[in-house]
Amino acid sequence: MTAFVIRRLVGMVFVLFTITVLTFLIFFATPGVDPARQFAGRNPDPTTVAAVRHQFGLDRSLPVQYALMMKRLFISRDLVSYGNQALEVVPAIKAATPVTLSLVTGAAVLWVVFSMLTALLAVVFKGTLVDPLLMILALIGISMPVFWLGEVMNLITLDRWHDTFLFSWVPSNGYVPLTQNPWQWFLHLVIPWITLSVLYIGFYARVLRADLLEVQSEDFVRTARAKGLSPQRVLLRHMLRNSMITFVSLFGLDFGVLVGGGALLTEVVFGLPGVGKLTYDSLQTLDLPVIMATVIYGAFFITIMSAVVDVVYARLDPRIRPT
Amino acid sequence: MTGKRRWGWLLGVVAIAAGLAMMAAAFSAAGTKSRTPSNPQAFPKLRAVLDTIDYLDPQQAYTGQSWWAMYDVYETLLTYQHVTGPAGYKLVPGLAQSLPTISKNGKVYHFKLRKGLKYSSGRKVVASDFKWAIKRGFLATGQGVGFYTDIAGAKKYAAHPTAGGNISGIITNNKTRSITIKLATPRGDFLTILALIFAAPVPGGTGPAIQNGSIPSTGPYKFKSYDPNHGFVMTRNKYFKPTKFIPRGNPNEVDVSLVGDADAATQMVINGAADYSNAAIPPDRIANAKSKGRLVLRQTANTYYFWMNINEPPFNKLKVRQAVNYALDRGKMQTLIWGGLGQATQNVLPPTYPSYRKLKLYSHNVTKAKQLINQAGANGAKVTVWARQVSDSVDSATYYTSVLNSIGLDAKLTTLPRATYYTTIGNKATHAQTGWARWLEDYPHPLDWFDVLLNGNRITNQDNNNYAWYTNKTTNKEIESLKKAPVLTPAVNARWAKVEKQIMQQAPWAPWSNRVFPEFFNKSIPAKCIHVQRLYGIDLARLCK
Amino acid sequence: MAEFAFGPEEEVVLAPGEAAQQIAGKSPWRLAGRRLLRDRVALGALALFFLIVVVCFSAPIYAHHVAHTVVFGSNLNGTTTVNGKTVEVIQQGTGELGIGENPIGPTWQTNYFIGSDAQGRDVMARVLYGGRASLGIGVGSAAICCLFATAFALLAGFFRGFTDSVLSRVMDLIWAFPVYLLAISLATVLLSQTTPIINPASLWIPTLIIAVVYIPYVYRPVRGQVLSTREKEYVEASVSQGASNLRLIFNEIMPNVLSTVIVLFPLMIATTILTESALSFLGIGVQSPHASWGTIIQDGQELLYTRPWVAIAPGIMIVLTVLSLNVLGDGVRDALDPRAKIRAAKE
Repeated sequence: MTAFVIRRLVGMVFVLFTITVLTFLIFFATPGVDPARQFAGRNPDPTTVAAVRHQFGLDRSLPVQYALMMKRLFISRDLVSYGNQALEVVPAIKAATPVTLSLVTGAAVLWVVFSMLTALLAVVFKGTLVDPLLMILALIGISMPVFWLGEVMNLITLDRWHDTFLFSWVPSNGYVPLTQNPWQWFLHLVIPWITLSVLYIGFYARVLRADLLEVQSEDFVRTARAKGLSPQRVLLRHMLRNSMITFVSLFGLDFGVLVGGGALLTEVVFGLPGVGKLTYDSLQTLDLPVIMATVIYGAFFITIMSAVVDVVYARLDPRIRPT
Repeated sequence: MTGKRRWGWLLGVVAIAAGLAMMAAAFSAAGTKSRTPSNPQAFPKLRAVLDTIDYLDPQQAYTGQSWWAMYDVYETLLTYQHVTGPAGYKLVPGLAQSLPTISKNGKVYHFKLRKGLKYSSGRKVVASDFKWAIKRGFLATGQGVGFYTDIAGAKKYAAHPTAGGNISGIITNNKTRSITIKLATPRGDFLTILALIFAAPVPGGTGPAIQNGSIPSTGPYKFKSYDPNHGFVMTRNKYFKPTKFIPRGNPNEVDVSLVGDADAATQMVINGAADYSNAAIPPDRIANAKSKGRLVLRQTANTYYFWMNINEPPFNKLKVRQAVNYALDRGKMQTLIWGGLGQATQNVLPPTYPSYRKLKLYSHNVTKAKQLINQAGANGAKVTVWARQVSDSVDSATYYTSVLNSIGLDAKLTTLPRATYYTTIGNKATHAQTGWARWLEDYPHPLDWFDVLLNGNRITNQDNNNYAWYTNKTTNKEIESLKKAPVLTPAVNARWAKVEKQIMQQAPWAPWSNRVFPEFFNKSIPAKCIHVQRLYGIDLARLCK
Repeated sequence: MAEFAFGPEEEVVLAPGEAAQQIAGKSPWRLAGRRLLRDRVALGALALFFLIVVVCFSAPIYAHHVAHTVVFGSNLNGTTTVNGKTVEVIQQGTGELGIGENPIGPTWQTNYFIGSDAQGRDVMARVLYGGRASLGIGVGSAAICCLFATAFALLAGFFRGFTDSVLSRVMDLIWAFPVYLLAISLATVLLSQTTPIINPASLWIPTLIIAVVYIPYVYRPVRGQVLSTREKEYVEASVSQGASNLRLIFNEIMPNVLSTVIVLFPLMIATTILTESALSFLGIGVQSPHASWGTIIQDGQELLYTRPWVAIAPGIMIVLTVLSLNVLGDGVRDALDPRAKIRAAKE
């Protein structure tokens, strides 16, 4: 097991390194982007631009620039944004992380609970109208673009039905830190949580239902029923646990992607200053240091969750031997 | 109680009562200090909402919003009056005792600093602090450094800026409070450049690292705190002494929140959570907002225009460029693009300038436009229109493209990301024919427009600002000559108006709008309290409740 | 057709309602086709998808004959007739300042059926044109993605060893790059060329980017399928008979793999359509002068509170299209491998 973990870690480092090199090359190969000129103001004369270029090390060779940027990002942690010299990249990401974590964790709680509920209900009421109805809802959930759903939610809660008791509590778009005002933090996140989780509830409900149904016809379930255990007990203690393998591994990956900045559409629509929004803003201005940092941050979460999921999967399913 | 004790007790009570009375007097004086006879309009707190600022560091900031805040925090040698109307563009002494003496050849400027000036930290303001501010600009590579390179020795200093290095063209004497500035070449807009906040004196030795809100101030206010995620707070500078031109402000404290979402900001003002917001209310929501608060429309010095590259066909023909100017329905465009928040224009300069003479060279006439295209033989000419991927650019450029198509050209729109737009159209190799552009003034001087955007001598192959690649012997020569005029006298302004007319007769541009911006106030702010300073916008110092 | 999907040691699985005699002797593909045809819901979804495709591709007919409008210029000055009266498409705001503007709202008639956008264009017609772009990019990128992913998976799974290592590492790399970040980065870079080599507005840019980004998604399951098929005895039998690599790939492995890809294809189209709309919404997908459902939603953002239909209509189209593709995907999967349905039916 240890050898497996170590090998995964080494693989992870290699992947991250390659991603940073690729990102660096992608953006530095873009002609027309000259940070030196951006810094030098609106009417720079060539000497000023040259001086600025020298000061920021932009006249050195690409490998040197890459090494400098990595050093500033990881070792001295004073990497500065190209767009705003007062913005230090690492603290900016640190400040944006709690926002993304709040959004994603809340949504994750919602989607785990509701997808399990939906799937269990669908299985219990299989054969009645409830099952297909729930599955249609799940299908619709995964067919909606999340940013469109967000816009529609904004329309309903902030404008059309804002004056009714249903939605008068919904505050304007934005974020309030948990440490500052827990109640406002909560209110500002409720609609984004619902929006983000709808897609995943649909997806996970279908996955779990399919797995539950597959397990239902296994021998051990029949044995348990023959033993006289109640259907609920069979469902929850035996079937569910055995069906969770796929659920857990998929969840790990999705959670990793979202925390790593994949919730950017939700953050942009609801004006939440998280890592996703930071990424999006930096891509608009081609602010390479911030892009680099957010890409590394995102890739890191994906690869680490991927590795964690592999380990957990191996432990949960003894049929899988780590290779 | 014994007799002695009773007296002691009485004495104690009197002492305490006196102490309490004194404290009460002191507190109430503090409470009513604002509403003294000298400042009856003072009020405790102004809550404002801005969409964003870039920096609160004088040698770095380059956005209108940051300058709005710093106009009352970091004073410059020369400044602008706190009045409404055209007089707001007139330079007056700020930290200097009076307007400078200028040598005959326009190369030497001589100032004297006012006596007894202090920063908000209590430290004295000395003449060498001005020199340090200019040096700091180069050390920190602030975005305004390009303006000061005409000072003698500045270019040399800029190549290798060091804290101990010297700019030979700035000579200061702290004892006599004198500042002498020598220019390498005379520069007509130098006084306005000195009035830019980039040249605001800061305590000598202040490091080049960006300091948002912690540099001591010289104006009526100082920055108390700054949080990039939330906003900043300004409070009174107790060492500030009002002058004839710089008043003590009315609010005791200014609390600025930074809210990016225009709807959220507008909502805050409507709810009463804020007094003022400068958010760009979307045109279809303006009528709605207007009824719930106080809307003031502010002119700013900007021009939105379409440039036409005189080197690229079909725009190398004068008739084609004139045809485009005739084809635009400028009046209608203000409604259609901005929802009415703009003024039609055919000028290069916006109407805020004293030299502005409204040009009426091209009245809307589509038939004439088509004729001109025919005469030039440009029917069916393929044209690529360039715009950047921002809504104000794409919307107007889409309209412009359809206008070009309606007069007989074959036009298509291409859009580029915001970050690379200007570098692309400013690159000769792109061979861009026509496209969208706008210019927001840096400082109120015609040179900021004509020299940068329409002087043939300053065309470069890359990072060019003259997108029309316009050059003309007569106008080039006149612009160079006007560069040497240090003061904007009526005669000088008349010459500028003439140059502008000559240029527009050659039609390298099709200007179409001077955009107007909504400033939104809570209903509790009376209309008489809202004053617009021509350069800096809503006059924060004169707001009242 | 030769024996493939079901080797000798595998049982033929019956779908609910099938009798052994009915399927005796029929090839697995015909069986799948038969099952699909009997699945009413899946057929309905397929019909819906085709309906959407047909309607969108007849956008020029709608624009010309029904709505009498042109959607790719600016129509700010335009007028239209509503209930016999001529009305300006962009209406001036009310109030003494006279500022503000309002595009016309839904007329529920043939012209400006669901109203106009900020440039005075007929939104219904634009949504149909946008559908052409969205569907084209969706199907195109899914096809390219599946094609290349299958090719790579076949190579990696069949030849294993070094080829497999290299290809799988590359796929891991693309996979680890956050999907939207990779797409956004490539799109931004390709759209930012100073002297454009490729026309920045070309629809090929989003198509190729989305295709590349999802290759690992298809590669992994297909490669797994290739690997497991390779182990089967009948393949070994062929090898011992001296079959060439090419013959092995095309005759033994591919058919097996094809069913996996066929199941994935509609689901990938659904995914690519959603991704394209997200990229266009963020401004880095389809560029003007083209329109797609995502760009129209973006147009509708600034009109959201006053003219919500501009944002809602394209979203509804996306939901319907993706929903039909998902249902179809389910149906195809059930048709090709009825195992899951059998187990469920036994209860």
